[in-house]
Amino acid sequence: MTAVVGALVDTRVEVQDLFDAYLWIAVAVAAIVFGAVAFAAVRYRRRPGREPSKLSDHKRIELAYVGLLVLITAGLLVATFRTEDKVDAVSSDPALRIDVTDFQWGWTWRYPGGVSVTGNSDAPPTFAVPTGETIRFTVRSRDVIHAFWVPEQRFKRDAFPNRTTQFDLDFDRPGMNGGVCAEFCGLRHSRMSFNVLALSPADFQGWLAEHRGTP
Amino acid sequence: MRPAPPDTAAGAVAAEPPAGLLTWVAGADHKVTSLRTAGAALIFFVLSGAIALVMRSELAQPGLQVVSDGTYNELFTLHGSGMIYLVITPLALALGAYFVPLQVGAPEIAWARLALSGFWIYVLGGATMFAGFLTDQGSGRNGWAPTYPLSGDHWTPGIGMDMWVLGTSMAVIGMFLLGVCVLATALRERTPGMTLLRMPPFTWSMVATCLMVVTSFPVLIGAMGLLEWDRHVSPVFDAAGGPALFQHLFWFYGHPVVYVMFFPFVGAVAEIVATFSRRRFFGYSLFVVSMLLFAALSMSVWAHHMFTTGQVENRYYSLTSHALIVPAGIEYFDLIATMVGGAILFRTPMLFAIGFILQFLIGGLTGIVVASPPIDYHVHDSFFVVGHFHYTLFAGSMFGFFAAAYYWFPKETGVRLREGLGKAHFWLLVVGTNVTFFPMFFLGFDGMQRRIADYPSSSGFGDLNLLSTIGAFLIAVAVAIFLVNLWVSLRNRDPGGDDPWEGQTLEWATSSPPPRFNFRGLPAITSFAPLLDRREGAARRKGEVAA
Repeated sequence: MTAVVGALVDTRVEVQDLFDAYLWIAVAVAAIVFGAVAFAAVRYRRRPGREPSKLSDHKRIELAYVGLLVLITAGLLVATFRTEDKVDAVSSDPALRIDVTDFQWGWTWRYPGGVSVTGNSDAPPTFAVPTGETIRFTVRSRDVIHAFWVPEQRFKRDAFPNRTTQFDLDFDRPGMNGGVCAEFCGLRHSRMSFNVLALSPADFQGWLAEHRGTP
Repeated sequence: MRPAPPDTAAGAVAAEPPAGLLTWVAGADHKVTSLRTAGAALIFFVLSGAIALVMRSELAQPGLQVVSDGTYNELFTLHGSGMIYLVITPLALALGAYFVPLQVGAPEIAWARLALSGFWIYVLGGATMFAGFLTDQGSGRNGWAPTYPLSGDHWTPGIGMDMWVLGTSMAVIGMFLLGVCVLATALRERTPGMTLLRMPPFTWSMVATCLMVVTSFPVLIGAMGLLEWDRHVSPVFDAAGGPALFQHLFWFYGHPVVYVMFFPFVGAVAEIVATFSRRRFFGYSLFVVSMLLFAALSMSVWAHHMFTTGQVENRYYSLTSHALIVPAGIEYFDLIATMVGGAILFRTPMLFAIGFILQFLIGGLTGIVVASPPIDYHVHDSFFVVGHFHYTLFAGSMFGFFAAAYYWFPKETGVRLREGLGKAHFWLLVVGTNVTFFPMFFLGFDGMQRRIADYPSSSGFGDLNLLSTIGAFLIAVAVAIFLVNLWVSLRNRDPGGDDPWEGQTLEWATSSPPPRFNFRGLPAITSFAPLLDRREGAARRKGEVAA
């Protein structure tokens, strides 16, 4: 984990950009392979008089090709490591700290000042977060392994019993986002969900005041 | 004890147990052991596939219509466990048990009775796993890859889960024994003249496969033993690092096994592509190196299944996983380079081989996508991953298996499979496979997590799920056509002769099916394609005579 002071990282943008780069490379490779197979299938069909080539290897072309593969691999790794640096970065001074406890089959979020919100598969909870601020999540599980996934943020982390996992997220867009448990955790895993309501910092303070003192 | 050499085969046959029950249980012919393993695997394939249809029916629309949450959890567990432990791994090793001895000119597999006992342990393990459905609290219900503490006795009580642990262990022990015998055959039982670098691509793929089997399978057996100890004797994985330790042990087996279920089919497809292109396989030596490199790397990528735990060195596992691009890229290059410049005949085995090449590609490319930790943070444990590994295992490996089945069926039985039914099977399976699995990439990326019986109607996942379900039933029809093809072809026999495809390797130099000890005489072994050498030599001599 790299400590970056005050840097806001929008995981959605970072991960989406990296995914798009991988996707286009994959599409290009697929186009080449499909094209090559189609070419071979049409051009080299068995016909009377067609003599197959006797060539069985060509070391120079093969080794040049291996070199190309190594370069592509290195390029992908550089892109991945750069993005991972940003996504894994944790601020030395987060604006807000939220403790999350997962359990079969629900969640408790504890905010500073004694505000705590709980909900489970019967009544999925809605948790508010302020936009434009770095939020430190500290996640643990009360029983089995769960995973905290907010698809809109393109981010997920597992929650283990007997230990905590920490990460920073920034919610840049106001609005309601869905979240689910992504690690299979028993009978009602399908229904272990929550909502994240991203509010402007002022509205968030209002929400916090509203929930102070309620369980 | 070495089996009798071919010239005394008649005498050795008399030493077999007399016909009857004893032969049925204890006859050790590697060809029979292999066919039985494949037969049992096909039965488990139909069972695990039927489970998939129930799951897809449940997922077709939001809401619970078909099964309960609890039943669904049992079903996805047995579907995945069945397909991995009881279907694709055994099919891969069964191919090796039949054809490695033939391709290296051996009269028997090494330690034929050990191989046979591997088959029986595997079948009993599979039966034990499925019998868990009959217990009070239901079968294993933690998925094919359980996590701890969920798999502990407190969170998943009941004998059904213990039967899953025991059944899985037995299936893996059985396949371990079969793998040991295949490896020993390739390394120790080769006929004189069959040097290591004259072993055909398929045999090399089995060597790479079995190297992974012998190094990774024991770790799973140990992990399952420790899990049982934890469940019933005293806690093992209870400490703070215990859950991650269990995942390490599991995936140290769980990733190599992914390639155990892939390599043999690459090897089979390599031979099919060469044979139907009427050409020597291109780039043999680099292909062999790439197989071994692939196997070695595959032992060092396991924790890419744990990127989201925050407890592993993501960069290391991302590096080793990305490095697989190199050997995989070499294999693709060689397969396509063999076709370019060939004289390609599009019979059913070749169609399935091309289906394997193109569809596995989608699985492989999405595999590179999930090898990147930041992307994996999003798509891990989602339907994106479900789509990815079904493209590798079904659109890839099962297509490779069908290619091998159509290619080698005439050798195993003496009769060909019907070409018309084969082509219907192929095209319907291509459509069904892509309609089923392609939508999963979109579902997963949009936020549908895996291992769920239901999703809210507000998610908007209904349409793509319905499409996927329709595809699953098309797959079922295609598989039914295959089974009908097996039945029809065995009843109204269309003899294929010893060498129906102009094969290049030694299994085509004996009768179909081969005699008890495989060969009555062997041709000169001059390369990894001895029969192609013989044909080319004959053509050359004919040319000289004509001149």
